[in-house]
Amino acid sequence: MKFLTRINRNYLILFSITLIVVTIVGYLALHLIIMDEAKENLLSREYLIEKQIKNTGEIPNLNPLIEVTKTDEGGIVKPSFKEVIIWNELEQENEVFLEYSNCIKVNNTYYLIKLRRFAFENEDLVLALAIAIFILLLSAFLISFFITRRLNKTVWAEFEHNLHAIESFSLDLNKNISLIESDTEEFERLNKVINNLTEKLKTDYLMLKEFTENAAHEIQTPLSIALINLEEILQHDLKEETFQKMVASISALKRLSSLNQSLILLTKIENKQFLFNNEVSVNEIFTRKLQEFSVLFETKALDVKIQSENDFKIGINKQLAEIMIGNLLSNAINHNVHNGNIRIYVNSDYFQICNTGESNLFTNDTIFNRFVRGNPRSYGLGLAIVKKICETHNLDIHYTRDNRHCFTIKQKS
Amino acid sequence: MKILIIEDEIELLIAISNFLIKENYICELAENFKKADEKLSINDYDLILLDITLPDGNGLELLKTIKKHQIKSGVIIISAKNSTDDKINGLDLGADDYLTKPFQLSELNSRIRAVLRRRKFDGSSIITFNEISVNTESKSITIHDKEITLTKKEYDLLLFFIINKNRVLTKEAIAEHLWEDSIDLSDNFDFIYTHLNNIRKKFKIAGSKDYIKTLYGMGYKFSDA
Repeated sequence: MKFLTRINRNYLILFSITLIVVTIVGYLALHLIIMDEAKENLLSREYLIEKQIKNTGEIPNLNPLIEVTKTDEGGIVKPSFKEVIIWNELEQENEVFLEYSNCIKVNNTYYLIKLRRFAFENEDLVLALAIAIFILLLSAFLISFFITRRLNKTVWAEFEHNLHAIESFSLDLNKNISLIESDTEEFERLNKVINNLTEKLKTDYLMLKEFTENAAHEIQTPLSIALINLEEILQHDLKEETFQKMVASISALKRLSSLNQSLILLTKIENKQFLFNNEVSVNEIFTRKLQEFSVLFETKALDVKIQSENDFKIGINKQLAEIMIGNLLSNAINHNVHNGNIRIYVNSDYFQICNTGESNLFTNDTIFNRFVRGNPRSYGLGLAIVKKICETHNLDIHYTRDNRHCFTIKQKS
Repeated sequence: MKILIIEDEIELLIAISNFLIKENYICELAENFKKADEKLSINDYDLILLDITLPDGNGLELLKTIKKHQIKSGVIIISAKNSTDDKINGLDLGADDYLTKPFQLSELNSRIRAVLRRRKFDGSSIITFNEISVNTESKSITIHDKEITLTKKEYDLLLFFIINKNRVLTKEAIAEHLWEDSIDLSDNFDFIYTHLNNIRKKFKIAGSKDYIKTLYGMGYKFSDA
């Protein structure tokens, strides 16, 4: 959940609760105050009536609001309030009244007084006031909500922008991360920390990259010396045993060197150090490679067929395209069986290369891993390189196996 | 034939020069930029082997001096960097070839001869070995004056053998010469045997001797002996 959404949501929940509680408490308080007020009003009316009877002897009667009757003895009714329902002739309905009844003694005569007020009047007032409170609070809340939201948006906009900058930051691109300066102290601190971190990351990364590159290249020189000297010794008349040992040593050094070169290649693909993207025709490369590899097919008695409905084009460095298809073909040859076959299928959406071969335990998830090898003589880097090339060129490679091993490459959708 | 070898790694410098002396070249050595620059401005060379990573300067700068003072000489760059950019860069600046470390002497030999042939220092584009004669210009081969057809790879292999005659060649060296690094062979060199069989068959039909000797099943030697 976004920071602002979260803040807003919490704000909304808290305010809804406050609003309801304040409205209810306000309603109750108002109710109490207004009922008190109504009772006081009835009591003052009683006082006025008592005075009127005393002064004029008139007994006021205003049904159903004032009802005074003479009575023989006092004390039959204690002063009390209650709600009564009385039939209203005019409106033809029952109405609720607040009734005050008391028994007073004026000039030695007892009067039973019943004073009434519309209870609805009070209730309506309370309700109206409560609604007013509710509306006032609600509008105050809404206004403050929208204002804070706007403010938050401007305050957090810088943060949002910087977050984007951090998200799109990549060590490979070798670009500095550009953060907006902020007036907010905390944001500025964050920016400083991020700038320092990325700066350090970048220098470390470059150093490591340089180190790997240099180390890999430096390895080639001593290898050259060793290989050249071994080759020279090989020219002497050697006993079979010595000869074998020499050849094994040369072979091992060669392997070390190609392993090293494959790793350099992988790093270079990863670092996107291959330039000059051209439109490359897969058909054309396959046709050329099949010609070039024909002796390899012949040696293993492989039946190789290419079926091409349409050409598959990739925007790629030509050398990388050659490496990719070369490695796929090498793989199909190296892991094939004698008298096996290779089938290549090319159309404009994808191309596929399938070969017969021993079954293995590899899946689409594991077969492209580095140093995963199908036979002890391979380095396990060929397919890793193919995968890396695909990844850096928006291509999708998929391995499937039923009775044949198939690699399918298509444009990523 | 006079060759200047520019290489900062002394061991490598000596090994290369020893080999080239045996192959009847006259060698001069330079182990740094300064010395190389000096030699280049005084003497003439037919061929220059140039390591581009030197301790006191960039070998590509030397290439500019070479193109100024030694217009006729061929240049082969020797580099630890197997990078297409560097290759293109070097070739653009006028180098004839680019060899990546580690290389084998037989490969160096074959490259040197190719450059010298291209620059006509060898005088002739015909290389002969007894009854076999290779025309490097038309890429054709005649045995007893009768032309035989080989595939491109077979031709490359035969030429490699003849140029490195009497030398022991490992399968690795042959595979590398034929494929450079365009294929991951997984040490599977059986195809060499296929190539050799094809060549032997064609040679036998043309009435040539089998000069390809197999050494303990691990290496080959093209030799009359």
